[in-house]
Amino acid sequence: MSLAGIAASDLMRRNRLRTALTLGGVAFGVLAFILIQTVISAWEIGVTTAAKDRTVTRHKVTFVMSLPKRYVEEIRRTPGVKQATWSTWFGGKNPLQEREFFMAIGVEPESWLDVYDEVGVAPEERSAWIADRQGALVGDVLAKKFGWKKGDTVKLTSNIFPGEWEYRIHAIYQPLRKSADRSMFVFDWDYLNQSVPERQREQVGWITSRVKTGTDPAALSKALDAKFEENEVQTLSQDEASFQRSFLGMMSAILGAMNVVSLVILGIMALILGNTVAMGVRERLREYAVLRAIGFRSSHVTRLVLGEAAALGAAGGLLGLAIAVPIVGGLGKFLEENMAAYFSVFRLDPGTAGLALAIAVGLGAAAGLIPARGASRLPVVEALRRVA
Amino acid sequence: MSEPIVRLRGVRKTFWRDREPVPVLDGLDLDVPEGSFEALMGPSGSGKTTLLNLIAGLDRPTEGSIEVAGQPIHQLPEGALARWRSETIGFVFQSYNLLPVLTAQQNVELPLLLRRLPRAERRKRAETALRIVGLEDRTQHFPRQLSGGQEQRVTIARAIVNDPKILVADEPTGNLDKGSTKDVLDLLARLNKELGKTILMVTHDPHAAERATIIRKLDKGQLA
Repeated sequence: MSLAGIAASDLMRRNRLRTALTLGGVAFGVLAFILIQTVISAWEIGVTTAAKDRTVTRHKVTFVMSLPKRYVEEIRRTPGVKQATWSTWFGGKNPLQEREFFMAIGVEPESWLDVYDEVGVAPEERSAWIADRQGALVGDVLAKKFGWKKGDTVKLTSNIFPGEWEYRIHAIYQPLRKSADRSMFVFDWDYLNQSVPERQREQVGWITSRVKTGTDPAALSKALDAKFEENEVQTLSQDEASFQRSFLGMMSAILGAMNVVSLVILGIMALILGNTVAMGVRERLREYAVLRAIGFRSSHVTRLVLGEAAALGAAGGLLGLAIAVPIVGGLGKFLEENMAAYFSVFRLDPGTAGLALAIAVGLGAAAGLIPARGASRLPVVEALRRVA
Repeated sequence: MSEPIVRLRGVRKTFWRDREPVPVLDGLDLDVPEGSFEALMGPSGSGKTTLLNLIAGLDRPTEGSIEVAGQPIHQLPEGALARWRSETIGFVFQSYNLLPVLTAQQNVELPLLLRRLPRAERRKRAETALRIVGLEDRTQHFPRQLSGGQEQRVTIARAIVNDPKILVADEPTGNLDKGSTKDVLDLLARLNKELGKTILMVTHDPHAAERATIIRKLDKGQLA
C-alpha cells in the first residue's frame, strides 16, 4: 500500500454512487469535448492538410468571379512555378438526388493531376480520361453514395450553367493523402468551355500553382499579384492553407461559438470534480487529522487529495475516451459516406484524445487545489476536536 | 524511580475565544517516569486532552518547555515534529479513527508508509502488531466488520507498529462496553509491563484509572 493505494481505495470503496456519477459526468464532458473538437477539425481539414508547396490565385474581389485563362500561361512562365493548373466551379447536381451537395469542377486533366498528386488514378485510367473530352473522375465516397461505377455514363445539371451535361466515368479515384477530397466530380474544363456562350469562354475559376523546391510560396504569391496589378482583372494569391481558411472565414462565428461551448463544458467538468472532491475532503477531515497525528506531513495530505482528484479526472477521462472511440468511429463512417462535402474526414485525432485526457486530469488536480489546501492547513488538534 | 521520559516546565496554554483569552494550563510542571502507566483524570474542561496533545506534539504551548524522550519538542519545526511523532508516539483515540476504506492490516501499516520499508516487511510488522493485540484472524476485515473492542485493538496495533516509546490514549475505553473495556485495559497493561511502553491515558472512568500505576488529577489547569 502507498499514498496512491489509499487514494485508490477511497475512490473505489467510499460512496461508490457519487464516484460513479462523477465519473459519468466527466466522461460525458470528455465525449462532448471530443465530438466538438472533431467537428471543428473536420471543417478545418482543408487548412490543416493543405499542401505547403501550392499557391492559389483567384480574382482579387471574390473567388466567385473568374479569371482570364491566359493568366495560366503567364503564371507558368513565372520563376519559381513548377506547374500550374486551373479549376472552374460547376455547381453540379445529380438530377436524381438534387439535394446532395458535392464539389464538381472543370479542370485541365493532365496538369490538374500533376498539381493534385494526392488523387490516385491508375495510368490507363488517366490516359483514358485525358483522351475523352466528356470524361470524368469521381471520388470513391461520392461514387458509393450515388451508386456510380467506372464506365457509367452520368448526367449532371448545374445551378450556374444551364442544360443537362453528360459524362463518362473513367475512374473512381482513391485518396493518396488525407488532404484529398473523396467526394469530388472532376471533368475536362474544355467540355464546359466549348459548350458555353462565346462571352463566357476562356474563363477559369482559380489557378493553382505548385512551387519549386526552395521557393517561398508567400514571396511567389506577391510576385504573381504584382504581375497582374496593372491588368483589368487583378488577382489575390495565397498559399493553399490561407485559401482554404478564407472559406472557413464565413463560418468563423460558428467555429468560435463551438469553441466557447467546449470551454463551458470544461468549466462544468471542473465544477463537478470540484464539488465531489470538496465533499469528500469535508467528510474525511478527521481521517486527514489522524494521518497528520501519526506523522504524515501536510504535504502528504495535499498529495493525497490532489492525487485522488487527478485520478478521478483521469478515470473519467479514460471512460470518456472509451465511449468516444466507438461513437466517433461510427458517426465518422456515416458522415464520411453521407455528408462528405462537409465532413470529408471525421476521425478521432490522437492529439484531440490526448488533449481531452490531459484536460480531464488537469481539471481534476485543479479542482482539488482548494480542498487540498484547506485539508493540509487545518490544525490537527482542531480537526480532531471538530469532528470527534 | 527511572528517569523521566516526559518533562514539562512552566507550561501554559491559552486558547482564544471571541478575542477573550481562555487559560487552560497554568504554569504546569510534570515529570513522567519512563515505563510508567499513568492515568490522567479530572473534570471536563480541566485541560487533560490539551495536556496530552502537548506531550504528543500535536499542539504547542503558549509558554514553557516540553521535553519528551530527550527532545525539546516545543522548539521543533512542523516537519521535524511530524517525523518525531511518527517515531516516538503511538496514538489511541476514543473513537478509534480507523480509515474505513482500508482493512485492519492496511490501517496498521499506515505509520510504516513513512519509513522506507519493503512491502513484505511492512506486512510482516503489521501482522505481528495484530497478533500482539489478538487479531491475527481479522487482518483482512474492514472496520465496519469489526466490533468496537476489536476496532480499538486495531487502533492499538497501529499505535505500536512503529515501536514508539510512548503511547497516548485519550479516553480509550470511552465508547466500549464492560467486556471490551477490560480487554483493552488488559492489553494496555500488558504493553506497559511486557514491552515497557510508557502509557499516558486520559480517562473519566475510575475503574480504568485503577489499572494505571500512577493516577494524576488535573483541575483548572493545575495538577492536584
